[in-house]
Amino acid sequence: MRIQAGIVIASIAILFTVACQSNTNSNAKQLTLAVNSGVEGDALKQAAKDYEAQTGVHINIAEFPYANLFEKELIDLTARAGAYDLIMLDDPWFPKFASQQLLTELSPLLQTKGQSGPDEDFVPTSIALGREPYQTGALYALPYVGNSQLLFYRKDLFAKYSLKEPAIWEEALAAAKTISELETNGAPGGGKVYGYVMRAAQGNAAVADFMPIFWAFGGEMFDPVGRPAVNSYEGIAALKFMLELGKYSPPGYASFNADEVGAHLLQGTAAMSINWPAWISAFDDPSRSKVISKMEFTTLPGAKNPGRAEIGNWLIAIPRDARNKEAAFEFLLWATSAEQMKRSALRGNPPTRKSLFTDPELVKKFPAYPAQLRSLESSRPRPRTPLWNEIENVFGIYLSKANSGELSPEEAMNQANTEIAKILERGK
Amino acid sequence: MRRFLNAENKKGAGSRVSGVGSDKALAYLLLGPTVFVLFALSIYPLIHAVSLSLQITSGGITRWSLQNFVRLVSDQFFLAALGHTLVFAVVALTLEFLLGLALAVLLNKQIRGRSFFRAGLLVPMMLPTVVVGIIWRLMLNPNFGAVNGTLKGFGLNTAAFTWTSSPRLAMFSIIAVDVWQWTPFMFLILLAGLQAIPQEPYEAALIDGSNAWQTFRHVTLPLLKPAILVALLLRTMDLLRVFDQVFILTEGGPGFATETLSLYIYRTAFRFSDFGYAAAMSFVLLLITNIISAFYIRILQAKESG
Amino acid sequence: MGRLTMRKFLKYLLLLSVLIATLTPVYWMLTISLKREVDQFAVPPRWFSFSPTLEHYSDAFLNRSFGQYLLTSMIVAVCSTFCALVIGTIAAYALARLKMPARLNRKLSLWILSTRMFPPIVTAVPLFLMMRDLQLLNTRLSLIILYTGFNLPFVVWMMRGFFVEVPRELEEAAMVDGDTRLGALRRVLLPLVAPGLAATAVFCLIISWNEFLFALVLTQTDAAMTLPVGIAGRVTQYEIKWGVMSAAGVVAMLPILVFAMAVQRYLVRGLSLGAVKG
Repeated sequence: MRIQAGIVIASIAILFTVACQSNTNSNAKQLTLAVNSGVEGDALKQAAKDYEAQTGVHINIAEFPYANLFEKELIDLTARAGAYDLIMLDDPWFPKFASQQLLTELSPLLQTKGQSGPDEDFVPTSIALGREPYQTGALYALPYVGNSQLLFYRKDLFAKYSLKEPAIWEEALAAAKTISELETNGAPGGGKVYGYVMRAAQGNAAVADFMPIFWAFGGEMFDPVGRPAVNSYEGIAALKFMLELGKYSPPGYASFNADEVGAHLLQGTAAMSINWPAWISAFDDPSRSKVISKMEFTTLPGAKNPGRAEIGNWLIAIPRDARNKEAAFEFLLWATSAEQMKRSALRGNPPTRKSLFTDPELVKKFPAYPAQLRSLESSRPRPRTPLWNEIENVFGIYLSKANSGELSPEEAMNQANTEIAKILERGK
Repeated sequence: MRRFLNAENKKGAGSRVSGVGSDKALAYLLLGPTVFVLFALSIYPLIHAVSLSLQITSGGITRWSLQNFVRLVSDQFFLAALGHTLVFAVVALTLEFLLGLALAVLLNKQIRGRSFFRAGLLVPMMLPTVVVGIIWRLMLNPNFGAVNGTLKGFGLNTAAFTWTSSPRLAMFSIIAVDVWQWTPFMFLILLAGLQAIPQEPYEAALIDGSNAWQTFRHVTLPLLKPAILVALLLRTMDLLRVFDQVFILTEGGPGFATETLSLYIYRTAFRFSDFGYAAAMSFVLLLITNIISAFYIRILQAKESG
Repeated sequence: MGRLTMRKFLKYLLLLSVLIATLTPVYWMLTISLKREVDQFAVPPRWFSFSPTLEHYSDAFLNRSFGQYLLTSMIVAVCSTFCALVIGTIAAYALARLKMPARLNRKLSLWILSTRMFPPIVTAVPLFLMMRDLQLLNTRLSLIILYTGFNLPFVVWMMRGFFVEVPRELEEAAMVDGDTRLGALRRVLLPLVAPGLAATAVFCLIISWNEFLFALVLTQTDAAMTLPVGIAGRVTQYEIKWGVMSAAGVVAMLPILVFAMAVQRYLVRGLSLGAVKG
């Protein structure tokens, strides 16, 4: 009895000491990197492993799903806790972090390396995202994943029904209608094929898929003096069009996220979608795809305005309160160098360097690269405001409500406009 | 609960061995750590939350203000979240209670394999809520999930069964998941309550010539009241604070349709960094929780004195 | 006689269907953890006919950090349970045995219980700020402290109930023989309530193991994340890794189920905070 009690107490004591190990990175040979859970994060994780093999610097990875990544980074940076030395940022988050001075300015660090600014090789639209103010200001982040939207479509089905590649949204809608109505049994494993699939889950999903249509139709989130204008005639027309496309989308799309969209495309049950290039490599993976060699990728259709993709780069920044800035910067430069980015690209991650988009080896492996580069260079970002997160949240709610039928397009846009105005008011 | 509030009155007329004085010191020693820990982790944060809710930050300056509470009244998202939470709680509670009671009555008599059934039924309760959320997110996927897949197998057209993406169905889904997980809880407590009822009242009722329904209504239910109240109280507390499953299953969607108060508070605090407003909303939640629990406890205590 | 057996049969049928409805989703998660990705999304759903694979388990625990999450969960659960048991049991003893005004006893007991009533989100924000100021963010210690606090009311109420059921005479006999109060506690009372103590310990382990909200809020890196947070983290923007999540889910639920079966007898008392006897 005594011995047993003693063993229990001893093991608990050991557990305690283990538990109280401090997690601080006081050791300069360690870095902590916050990454997105998904394809892009995987690429950076792999790069971190390579870096460790090369330099011996151990990199701890903190991986979070998209929504939580923002929260975790915001919490850590505003709390000045310094848990992270490097953070991945989706470009719309960047204004919030930069405007609150939570990031380390990169130009002084570049100067210690004898560079006056970032490499000319970076695609201008990508580098512009890392500057505060946009395009013209100081540099706080480097772009790592060069995503900008493409239209994905099933070239085999388009050929079957003699449809040409959509240059305008109306053509895309007509194609979606044709396929939905006629392809009633063509899915691998039986079942119908839907002409289109989109994600309209509230938040980032709905907004990201809607903005290109919104812009193509002539909508703008803010008018020239900065007041919200989503309920303009063009904006409402765009939303109505989105609902039209929704008619040919699988049921339940009103709460789809990227995973459902991807699953439908991979399973062959949907024929067209807006998506990010990072998905392309999945389509040729036999363990996941039932539509190998059947997908084609092109730039987004236009309408009133020429088709412009929404840019969605992932940036890497160094928090102002990071504990190992120099070491972090070394890694950042290394990871965004042409050589390392090429390896990341070979793993399926779109690069942010012009030279890589035209690199023969990469173009051979990814025939869509020319289209991607065109898309990237002509892309436009979502509105650069520190309040983007709240705006996207609210806008996404109303888009989702319109798509689920709860509100009419006019009601949805009007209410969204009012709420966005409230957010701007509070943020002053 | 009744038993424990009356615990001091049990036999044994108190200690005759040590003096009253040393008892007091010992009491401080033994109760001290508990009181300290609970104070630090419950009361102190509460006070801090009060001060947070009474401050607002604008343009970089923080000042005292009632603005957060004023905003509550006109914030349609807050009111919607509040509504969702209440609807969720009431419907889930009712369903769990009725189903749990039915199961308890069914299993009250000795049947073969009762402990086997009981063991199986308690599985959902013990699962981490995150795991529950994930299981059901998987099952309820409209295109690939097991639920629709099975229904399709029976020949039903599942096109309209978009469990987590139509507002009405989504609310129904989170309620259904909660019922799946927690009906066993009700069942166990009510069963224990039923088994604690002595035989005599039943025998008396039989002699009086009552039928099954009358016996149930006039004998069983009144004697079951304490167990019922305990079960309802505990379940209500948990329903009002629901977060985990909704976070995983619908993330509050579609279009805010299943956003509960806890979720909205979490978002406000950790996504939008608006700690003051989050604290103000927390208070409303706390207030509602306290009022309801006070109500239940009052009924329980009235029962004791009655 | 025929009518009676018909009734019984229907009863069994009903109970069986309830049992199936209860356990099927759990079984489904188990199959997902063992299916290849192509099989996971097959329509119609493959309940039994699939070729199993352990790739998700090895992915979760070898490639990804689930092994670490598991370790963290275990450490945090065990330490917080131990602390709560020690602190709570002595408090329960005081409330059950020491002479004090009945009203004070009652009020104190209710106050301790009431702290369990707080919706976690209410204290989450201030506790987050508190841990931040104490530089305890993202540490296991912060979770241990917090979970001890969660488990305390529970331990106090459960153990108080168990203590009260033991007749005072037994301790008094020991004390007349010259033992101190605390000695009597240790030598006489504790062994008698040992099963209750074990059951309480298991409940605390379950509560700590399953906790999600605070673990989510207070941890930033793998070093301190628990299993539930790690599992939730598989819900990604691009693709939910169902296989990995399910594998982790199965591992997360197995120890708990084993423990829960072990304390089945005490389940009701535990879940109702001792209010209703099991």
